[in-house]
Order: sequence, then structure tokens, then C-alpha cells
Amino acid sequence: MAPFALEGINVLDFTWVAVGPITTKYLADNGANVIKIESATHIDVLRAAPPYADGKFGVNRSQFFADYNTSKRSITLNLGHPKARELAMRLVPWADIVVENFTPKVMRGWQMDYEQLRRVKPDLIMLSSCLQGQTGPQAMMPGFGQLMAALSGFYYISGYDPLDDPAPPYGAYTDYITPRLAAAVLVAALDYRRRTGRGQYIDVSQFEASLHFLAPALIDYFATGRVLQPQGNRSERYAPHGAYQCRDEGGAERWISIAVANDAQWQGLLDVLGNPACDERFATMLGRLQNSQVLDTFLSAHVRERDAWDLTSRLQEKGVAAYPVQSCLDLHQDENLESFGFWHWLEHPEMGPAPYMGLQHKLSATPGQLRSPAPLLGQHTDEILQQMLGLDDEQIAQLRKDGVLI
Amino acid sequence: MTCELLKGLRMLDLTDDKGAICGKIFADMGAEVIKVEPPPGCSTRRIAPFLDDQPGPDTSLYFLAYQAGKKSITLNLECADGRRLLTELARKSDFVVQSYPVGYLDSLDLGFDSLIKTNPRLIYTSIMPFGDSGPGKHYAAADITVWAAGGNMYLMGEEGRPPLQISAPQAGLHAGAEAAAGSLIAHYPRQSSGQGQHVVVDMQACVVWTLMNAQAFPILHGGSMKRSGVFSGALRLRRKMVFRCADGHISTLLTGGAAAASLKAMVDWMAEKGFAADWMKRQKWSVWAPGVISPASDQEIEQVHDLEDRVQQFLLTMTKREIYAEGLKRRILLSPVNTVAEIADDEQLKARGFFRPVRHDLGGGRTLTMPGPFAVLSATPLAAPQPAPKLGQHNAEIYGGLLGLSASDLSRLRAIDAI
Repeated sequence: MAPFALEGINVLDFTWVAVGPITTKYLADNGANVIKIESATHIDVLRAAPPYADGKFGVNRSQFFADYNTSKRSITLNLGHPKARELAMRLVPWADIVVENFTPKVMRGWQMDYEQLRRVKPDLIMLSSCLQGQTGPQAMMPGFGQLMAALSGFYYISGYDPLDDPAPPYGAYTDYITPRLAAAVLVAALDYRRRTGRGQYIDVSQFEASLHFLAPALIDYFATGRVLQPQGNRSERYAPHGAYQCRDEGGAERWISIAVANDAQWQGLLDVLGNPACDERFATMLGRLQNSQVLDTFLSAHVRERDAWDLTSRLQEKGVAAYPVQSCLDLHQDENLESFGFWHWLEHPEMGPAPYMGLQHKLSATPGQLRSPAPLLGQHTDEILQQMLGLDDEQIAQLRKDGVLI
Repeated sequence: MTCELLKGLRMLDLTDDKGAICGKIFADMGAEVIKVEPPPGCSTRRIAPFLDDQPGPDTSLYFLAYQAGKKSITLNLECADGRRLLTELARKSDFVVQSYPVGYLDSLDLGFDSLIKTNPRLIYTSIMPFGDSGPGKHYAAADITVWAAGGNMYLMGEEGRPPLQISAPQAGLHAGAEAAAGSLIAHYPRQSSGQGQHVVVDMQACVVWTLMNAQAFPILHGGSMKRSGVFSGALRLRRKMVFRCADGHISTLLTGGAAAASLKAMVDWMAEKGFAADWMKRQKWSVWAPGVISPASDQEIEQVHDLEDRVQQFLLTMTKREIYAEGLKRRILLSPVNTVAEIADDEQLKARGFFRPVRHDLGGGRTLTMPGPFAVLSATPLAAPQPAPKLGQHNAEIYGGLLGLSASDLSRLRAIDAI
């Protein structure tokens, strides 16, 4: 079996919710030893967020949690208790990387901020990722990605028209931007440490990281004062460009996405539609861009009775970008995701076989893998205390009695 | 000032809008990123909108943002000399990242299998809209069609109106950032094993990874979530995520349970201003979490609607700025629905010096303000933002300096349209 890319890297993971756990998942699925420190006194809120196996709640039954915590081990330490903090500190010298995503006062309050941790592990790499960064007047803002997606502009520019309510992206959108950048910079920091022996502290503001996905609009505003508005599916590059309703399927509506970049593709689209008579303004790219609304009405009328999947194949044969608008159920049946090996059914001790999202990239020589399903809450507490800290059963029982291991 | 993090490493960037941000991230971390452009220029130079609405090879806002900090060379891959030059460059590089149609570079003997032979240490990353083996591997793709294929579009928009994309296309940015992470994960073992490898990024899968908790609902609970405007939710409850205020919109999380302290603070604030109902003043919010662990009851649904209505009336009395300032003080989970203008004026970003002026050689000199580093590193600060290159700006430096070609070699290559 091929080795994993990050085999032998040790990670102490204090993270919860989404940004932190997804970041450490990149490391865990690539072979790093990731110990997730959690507590029933302050549960990772995703353990109590749906969907749940069989639709039934339980702290070990959330697929929301499971998706972000594969290949990790879980120890429960009640860090409000000084003995728990002492145990955590004893694990720090083992760690190459520490990651946390609390509001900045939490690790400081436990005397477990970077300055404290580097005393016992001088070349430690530590990454903190809170909403707005470790410094500045808003550093202590609590919250989830939904708020960040609004704060960083994504909600405003999602919708049909500036005068309507926004139609924001589903959920905590920016939580899915930051981890890609955080994982990249962590691995780069590991490489730097190997070359120089130097660890460091990395402050990732989710606000700042997310704004890179809006950079053109920000540069534009600073330069010209233009404020990017929600514009439905209108594009300045493609016309037609949007989602168009096709024939219903099994009593449910079905839409197709289509984007036409040039005249040849437009002719291909017309061929597929049987070359219906159309507005002469549609003959040029500029005409189509300038009359996109009329164009949308035209196209909508001509695809309404078509089958979206058949239409996709026919358009693709002509080189026109098109794909059905897929629901989550469709994703589980999508042949391209299937062929990439995206979905994984992992056997979880409490959930049974559960559907996990897989990796988004494949490495040919050292492929990552969902090495194990998400851990049960505290599943590896005893194992970690025994093997790594040399505690015996009696000591562990006492700690448990003292409320240290909950 | 360059960054020490990836200093000394070189990347050849052959991407379009499916991956441009990958090389940008590498440049931020100190790698030398060479954008290899066909002689007419990379297609991202033609992406509207343009600075001052003046189309030109150097004024695409997309290009200015995501090719920043890179070097540019021109190279015609369709001729033998061009292919030889790229092979030479790959021999001297640590990374190649490309997003050409699947199989195109292979057909020119510039695919992974060819280049790994000339440079066994090479990390070669390919960004593909629908992977490398499925029935759609040759599908034409635009950002919006991958957004649709990956399931995000289905969840955005209002019932009765079309599904939506974000009005700044995102799928290619996710794929590009994923390519940066994947390339570095592959890089780490290479530095000791000497073994290069192929990294294939699946852009559709990258979009699936933006769906938060939605993917497994149809399997575990039955039924896919649907687009529902400003509402979101499951387990019988549609929760309102966005409210109007005097001058725009506010997003807030009106959930109890784990977020009880925030909801209590919101209700206390409303009570001070006479907007809270009696039941709200009495409610113990830590045990109130409809639709979180089990389907909401009829009574809970009624409570949510009453709460949402009253919060709406309350927020209409204030501006975004007033609500955000007070929300921060009271530690309420809320934020303004910001425009880019409001982001540009944000106190926190100003205090951290996030936006940076960058001198550009445009129309006699122009300073553009750009987003600063995506992270703050104590030992190896990321590079400050840099201008994007002019087409072929670094031909002499790269072909002359790196490959050691003479001036006459260069003019010969130019004459046969190789560069």
C-alpha cells in the first residue's frame, strides 16, 4: 500500500464546527495522526445538528459532524478543569501542529495560547482561525459561517435584483473557503519547518480569507466606486447564461444550466433546438449579451418540454456547456462523481453504513483516504491516555470520577 | 517583499478561470509562479468586467485579482519549439498546474506522463470540471454549469423563480484553492522521497463540498432540501436567515440550545425597546432548539414565526451599522449583509491593515487597492499583493535567464510564433 503524504505528522486538534475540523481533515485523510480534543461539557455543535443516522438524534449520529471528522481520534477532556489542561499540555510536545478555532479569548483563558505552547514545543506550528482574526476591535465576535457569508459580501451579491431580498447561498458558505487556504498554508509551514527548524503562529481570519473569493469586485470598488449588485444569473461573458426549466420529472420540477460563450456554441444550441426562428438581435454575442432577458425568455420556451438529461447530452455533443441542476439526491446518483470515486459508505459503530463525501483531489502516488469514520465522542480517551501519557486504569478511573474526562 | 514559506520553488501556471487562484496562493506564499500564456494572451485577460469599463489586455478585474504576483511568458504550445520550451521549463520547475480540457496537454506530449519522465520530482496538478474518467470528462464547462452539477445552485434562489449562482462566479475559485492544498500535500513527501506525482482536482466535487450539511438529508431523513429564498432549514422548520432593517438586511441566527446566550441577549434588547412578547421574556432558551435535534412541534413552529415577526419589526427600526455595533457589544449572533462598499469601510479590516495599495503600470500609473494576505504568519509573513504581469513581461528573464537562450534564439522563436 502506498504511504500517506503526511504520515508521521502529529496534530492536536482543538477545533469544532466547520472551518477547523475541515482543515484538520485534510491532514488526517492524508495520514497525519490527528487527536481531536472535545468535551461533553462543550460539545462540538455539529454533533447536535442534522442530518442524523436513521433520522434519529444522538451525539454520535450526525452526518454533518461525521463528514468533517474522518480519520481522527477523539479524546474527551473537560478543559475547564485544571487537570484536563495539564493532560492537554502533556500532549503538546508530541504535536507538530496545533489547530484551534475558538474566539481568541478561549485558548488565552486556558493559558494555552501560542506563547504558552511554544515553551514546551519550540518548533510548534499553531494555526488559529476565528471569524475576524486574533487582533483588532472585532476579534472577539462570536459566530458561525452564515454570519461570515453575510459580513463578507456573499449574501448581498446573491439574488435576482438589488431591490429584492437576497437569495443567499445555502448555509455557512464561507466555511468552505477558509479550510482550503488554511490547509495549504499549514502544509507549506511544515515544509518550511523541515527546511529551517522553525515553527510559527498562523492567524487566519475567516473574513480576510473569504474576501479573496470576491477580490475583483473589491478592487473595482476601491478603484471606481462601483458596488457589485446581485444580478440573477446574468453574465458579462456568456449569453445565454442561466438555469432554464425543463420537463418535470416524477412530479418534480427539473432545471438545466446552460452557458454559451461564442457564436459557434450558439449555433450548436440552435441546432439542438431544431433551429427555431429567433430574434435577429441574437445573431451576435454582443446582441445576446445586451438582450439577455429576451434571450432567456426565448430559451426557456424552447426547453420547457425537453428532458434535461437528454438535452445535456445533445448540447455537450455540440460543445455547449450544460448540466442539469442537481439536487442532493441527484449527486448520490451522478455518474461523474461516482466515477471519480467521490462517495464513500463507511461503517460507523453507531450509525451503521453512512454516506460520506470523499476527497476533492486525487494524488497518484500517495493518495489520501477516509481512513476511518468519524470517532464517537471520547472513543479514544483511554487509549490515548494509556499509550501516550502512560496512565494506568486506576488513574484514568480517578480522572473520570473527578470530572476531568467528560 | 517576498515570502520565505515557499521560497525557491517554481510553478508553471497553465490555468484559466478554473484555477487561476492556485498560482496566486503560491505566489502569496513566496513561490515563483510563471504564467504560461498563449501568444494572444490568457483567456482570463478577457473576462469582463474591466477596470473603468475599458476592455484591454491588462484591465480585466479578474485578471488583476488572480494573476497578481505572477510572472508572464508567452508560449505557443501548438508548435514543436513551444512544446520543447515548456518541457525545458518543466524540467526546471517544482510544480505545474493546468486546467486545459482533459487530454489536451497529453495530446501535445505535455501531460503528466510525459513531463514526469523529464522531471521525476514534478508535482503536476490537473483541474478537471468533471474528473478524469467519467462520462462527462470531456464535457464543456462554465462556472455556472459546474455550480449546478455540484448541487449548490439547486439550493439557491426562491421557489417559483430560477435557481441561482452567486453574482461573482465561485466554482473555479474553489477548484483553484483546492489545487493549491492538493499540490502542497503532494509536495511534502516529494521533498524527502524525490517522487513527483499527479494531482487531479475534481471541480464538481469541490462544489459538493460547499453544501454544508445538505448532502446526506435525502438518504438519512428522506427528501432533498430545496431553494427557499431567505429561509433555510430542515426537520419541519424553515428558519428565516435574513431580515430587513432600515437601510438593508441583517443576517442572524435565532436558535436556542448552543446559541441560547445570543438569543437571550437579542430578546433582552428587544424587551428594552418593547418588542418582545411575554412568552419570549419567560422562555428558557437553552432548552429551546426547534428543528435541531428532532422535528419541530406545531407549537414551536408558531413560536419561531412569532419570534421572527417581532425580530423583523424590531430590526426595521435601525440601520445595519447600528445593529452590528450593538450586536457586537451584546454578543448577539448577527451580522450586516454587507456590500463591497461597506466591506471597504470595515473597522476591523482597517485596524488589521488588510487592504493594501499596489502601484500598477496602467495608463501612466495607477494605484489599486487590493486584498492583503489571506493569513498572518509570525515567522514568514505572506507577500504583500503585487500587480499582475503584462503579457510576456518576463520572456527575457525566463527564456534568457532561466533557460539561457540568447537574444538571437529569442528573435528566432518570436519569428516562428513560438513565443
